[in-house]
Amino acid sequence: MGAINSHGVGDYISPAGTGLIQVMSNQQPTIEINKLSKKYDRNKNFALHELSLNIYPGEVYGFLGPNGAGKSTTIRLLMDFIRPTAGSASILGLDTLKQAVDVKRNVGYLSGDSDTYLKMTGRKFLNYMNELQPAVSKKYVAELASRLKADLNKPLGSLSRGNRQKIALIQALMHQPKVLILDEPTSGLDPLMQDEFYLLINEAKERGSTIFMSSHILSEVQKVCDKVGIIRSGKLVSEQSIEQLATEAAQTFVIHFTGKPPLAELKAIDGIKKVSVQKDGRVVLHVHSGLSKLFAVLAKHDVKDLSTMELNLEDQFMHYYQADTNNRGDKDV
Amino acid sequence: MFSVIKWTLWQRRYSIMWWSIAVVGFILLNLVFYPTFKDQAAELNNSLSQLPESAKALFAGSSDFVSPVGYLNSQIFFLMLPMLLTILTIGLGASIVAKEEREGTIELLLARPVSRNKLLVSKAISAIIILLVVSSMAFLSISVTAKIVDIAVPLRYIAVATLGSVVLALCFGSIAFVITMLSKSSKAASIGVATLIAFGGYIIVSLSSTVKWLKNPGKIFPAYYYKPEDILRGNINWKYFIFPISIIIISAIVSWWSFNNRDIGN
Repeated sequence: MGAINSHGVGDYISPAGTGLIQVMSNQQPTIEINKLSKKYDRNKNFALHELSLNIYPGEVYGFLGPNGAGKSTTIRLLMDFIRPTAGSASILGLDTLKQAVDVKRNVGYLSGDSDTYLKMTGRKFLNYMNELQPAVSKKYVAELASRLKADLNKPLGSLSRGNRQKIALIQALMHQPKVLILDEPTSGLDPLMQDEFYLLINEAKERGSTIFMSSHILSEVQKVCDKVGIIRSGKLVSEQSIEQLATEAAQTFVIHFTGKPPLAELKAIDGIKKVSVQKDGRVVLHVHSGLSKLFAVLAKHDVKDLSTMELNLEDQFMHYYQADTNNRGDKDV
Repeated sequence: MFSVIKWTLWQRRYSIMWWSIAVVGFILLNLVFYPTFKDQAAELNNSLSQLPESAKALFAGSSDFVSPVGYLNSQIFFLMLPMLLTILTIGLGASIVAKEEREGTIELLLARPVSRNKLLVSKAISAIIILLVVSSMAFLSISVTAKIVDIAVPLRYIAVATLGSVVLALCFGSIAFVITMLSKSSKAASIGVATLIAFGGYIIVSLSSTVKWLKNPGKIFPAYYYKPEDILRGNINWKYFIFPISIIIISAIVSWWSFNNRDIGN
């Protein structure tokens, strides 16, 4: 797959950087993470190991990984809640460790646990947060509350997790920060509110904000993000743009031959990167170029069915999390 | 910084109110019976004189129970007021920052442009304000009640004795605070250790007047330097404040260093 990675992480990623990210690489990254590592006192293993990535202005970056992969550790390092064992990070050119306060003047943060002051009403809580970092206007806070249908008059402890999450989102968004760092932002939100959140993210992006969000929800990342990074056991194993993924997927063909698949012929075609055979005999191949040569080969054989794959981030995700690909019935050839 | 102090006090407003009511209530209960007590002074002195020295030292640090100063010392300043203020400050020291860490709310504060230093100082100031509010209520109620029941002790001596209790309590609170700062998950440990130093020290210091070998070990406990009876008699020796204030300063420096260098939150 012709994915993009400026850091050489993962064998899945080719250095052929084209499209969005290469254009962006001429810019100064908004978030720059350089070999960031974290090892907790009581653990032998690194929770995060030499993570390097760049996120560019106006980009929405989805950070994917299962529980314990290192997503929250990365976010908490960026926010200077925890201190790195090695490496560094900067936001808007400011060191997250040495210039933490200046960094936070430009950051909106949402915690993954939606911890809050349970005895305060939403209104009092937002007043408190507003005193520490003023919102753009009272009107904007009211607008956010209205759009997210947040109840500001009840104690936060009496609200459901989803309703508390709405208020947590308001505090992260109300000062229209240049950078948003969101740890599982839609956790607990109903589908209608999730859609409203996606709209708010788009609006922030249009204002030029850079958004770094972790998520378990693959469809969400696919829907709102420009780029996706997959983290496993504290290491970044893949980083690709959604645009690139879509292009890659469109160039992935699934072919069902009537007889034995002509694997040798297919593999001989220039521009075909990977050929695999599924259990049911279907051939999956990734084409970079040479479509006409592919169709020339197909014309010589009896093809029962031909389709292109849709963009499916879950496949990408599972690619890194399924230890044994044979379990899926695929076999690389 | 002001906002953190303001909202911390707002969150603890009921606690401040109930602590003030409790302290004032205890003081009234103890002082209001002084006229009756005074009328039976001769009999009481006779009975109390038969107590062993160690028992007298444990309950009043003195053999004078019935003079105005002796009564005020034994009933309020020797044990009751410093004990209540110590319980309050140990609780504050063990929770004022640690509770926010345990509950995850500290991230909401540190995600705004608030430095760790400012947060720590704001929380420490909030705790001191709470202690001062409660101790001011104590001072006022002692002063007013003493006037009513005719305990003739100059106000400034009562004020300095109250200050002595505040400094002693703050000393134990700072020990609880530094333990939570060094090891964020140890609420029980911080309360336990600080309480042990406070009340274990009190027992050792009280007994050191009769148990000779406890005299030198007693000097390492803040209670040794707490002399309310001397203060109430006008023998104010400010050097007795140096030891507890030194502990407060050392605890503050260690807390600052630890909070600035360790991971925050759970």
